Amino acid sequence: MRDTTAHPVCLAIEGLSKRFGGFYAVNNLSMEVLQGHIHALIGPNGAGKTTFFNLVTGVLLPDTGRIVFEGQVVDDTRPSRRTVRGIARTFQNIRLFPHLTVLETVMIGEHCRAFPSVWAALAKAVLQLPYHESTEERVMRTHAMELLEFLGLADKAEAKASDLPYGEQRKLELARALATEPRLLLLDEPAAGMNPRETEELDEVITRVRDRGVTIILVEHDMKLVMGISDVVTVLNFGTKIAEGSPEKTQADPVVIEAYLGEDVQL
Amino acid sequence: MFEGLLDGYTRSLLIFGGINVIAAYSFYLPFKTGQVSLGQAGFMAVGAYVSAIITAKFGLPFAVALVAGGLLAGIIGVLVGFPALRIKGIYLLLLTLGFAEIISVIALSWEYVGGAQGFRGIKFNPYTLEYVIGIIIVLIFFFARLERSSLGRAMDSIHQDETAAEVMGIDVVRIKLLAFGLGAVIAGIAGALYAHHATFMDSTTFSIMMGVEILMFVVVGGGSTYWGPLAGAVALNLIPEFLRALREWLELIPVSWTNFYPMDRAYKFLHEFLDFENAKRLIAFGIILIVMMILRPDGLLTRDSVRRLRTKLRFPRWRARHA
Repeated sequence: MRDTTAHPVCLAIEGLSKRFGGFYAVNNLSMEVLQGHIHALIGPNGAGKTTFFNLVTGVLLPDTGRIVFEGQVVDDTRPSRRTVRGIARTFQNIRLFPHLTVLETVMIGEHCRAFPSVWAALAKAVLQLPYHESTEERVMRTHAMELLEFLGLADKAEAKASDLPYGEQRKLELARALATEPRLLLLDEPAAGMNPRETEELDEVITRVRDRGVTIILVEHDMKLVMGISDVVTVLNFGTKIAEGSPEKTQADPVVIEAYLGEDVQL
Repeated sequence: MFEGLLDGYTRSLLIFGGINVIAAYSFYLPFKTGQVSLGQAGFMAVGAYVSAIITAKFGLPFAVALVAGGLLAGIIGVLVGFPALRIKGIYLLLLTLGFAEIISVIALSWEYVGGAQGFRGIKFNPYTLEYVIGIIIVLIFFFARLERSSLGRAMDSIHQDETAAEVMGIDVVRIKLLAFGLGAVIAGIAGALYAHHATFMDSTTFSIMMGVEILMFVVVGGGSTYWGPLAGAVALNLIPEFLRALREWLELIPVSWTNFYPMDRAYKFLHEFLDFENAKRLIAFGIILIVMMILRPDGLLTRDSVRRLRTKLRFPRWRARHA
């Protein structure tokens, strides 16, 4: 298990804002995600959840505010560097590499751990006998297969990523993100397009990932899943935080019910 | 090495074909990371002029000039690669096209390398064919290794979805720069070989048309496997030879078959159409390209077709041994 006492706060967001034209996608948002938590982020469509993920992973740069990951400001770091530091994500609109196989896709996630420097990767690529697999490659392959087994995709390892059914593509996205060995995992609607049985499996997978010591931020519209596994729920609307607390507390919050859940929600 | 075997014409054909293969690989490496460059002829020009200056003006041996030409082209490649990181698609095409134009204007206006008169008095290198064959073998080894390595896979992922690759921890900036720079090195080497075989060049030698041809080699051959550039360059270099052979066969047809209407017209048309020196060969080229793009838009060879071929021919399959 990882030592989590050094930084009890995994991710701290301080006054984060991002504007597109005149529209604030994220507006002066501050929040803390504690180490080892499953932290849900909910809110109506357009509330700024995906923009928030893009800001944390560095795909977008914030207009104002700071992002502190395990005590270090990561604002000026490129996305790939943030991944190396331990932030990984999945995409809401699945973004797999269509021409790679399932196994190769997961090995892309392993790459940044196996080859921290491009020169090392180049040397390994060139200074090998043909048809000889390097130790690094073998380790990557073994890890990747373990992850695929963990997510129940092992028998599809040689299939093209784009040939998988929708639900399994979501699982593959998760496997690829886990392959980067994250300490903070951002899941953007992982249950979208999954049937109830798959969602139940996902519930179990997310819990098991958390138990490995990974902090999770979960954006999801499936309230049964969210309320069942989250430690803390933050509710966004128009880019601002309107409520935060335990699932029970936020569920009962009249502001949240009005803005998002609706009056007659049955959970 | 091949004195007794090859006549001068075949030798020259092999050399220029081989240089085209090398140039095609120089395009293929940045293309593997999704960067489409029309400026590879510009990098060839850098390699050609630098190496020619070294041999003709300083009297150093060709091997030194070859390395220096490749390295300088590579350095300029990295410099051009920086702005190329920010732009994609059609804009990158324009940037690299502009770069090739700049190089050509420099060659035209720089009197030290002959200016408008062209660079004369380049030493002829009698071993160009051996160099070309050796370099192609090294390149095929390199790309074979690359395709089966983690770095090669990372390059493929950048080609397919740059943002997703970056978020998965792939150092997109460094890998794209590396690919662009190394591609320029390969182009520089091709240019140096060209200069010391042709022994003359001017600002129009490494024209935009050459850049387009290099792109065509990879598009026709297939950009998803390292056999593609080789197949494309060989095929497109053989087409004129093939047309020439057809024309010679055409002449074997008895005159009595074609000396009446409408056969005489058809014969005349075909005869001119297949004329290697005739501008109409470009039409033949164009038609072949259009047919290719309709029948096999991914190129002659794709990674899947190479895989299937391997299994069929029972070549060792890397994946099978480690599964």
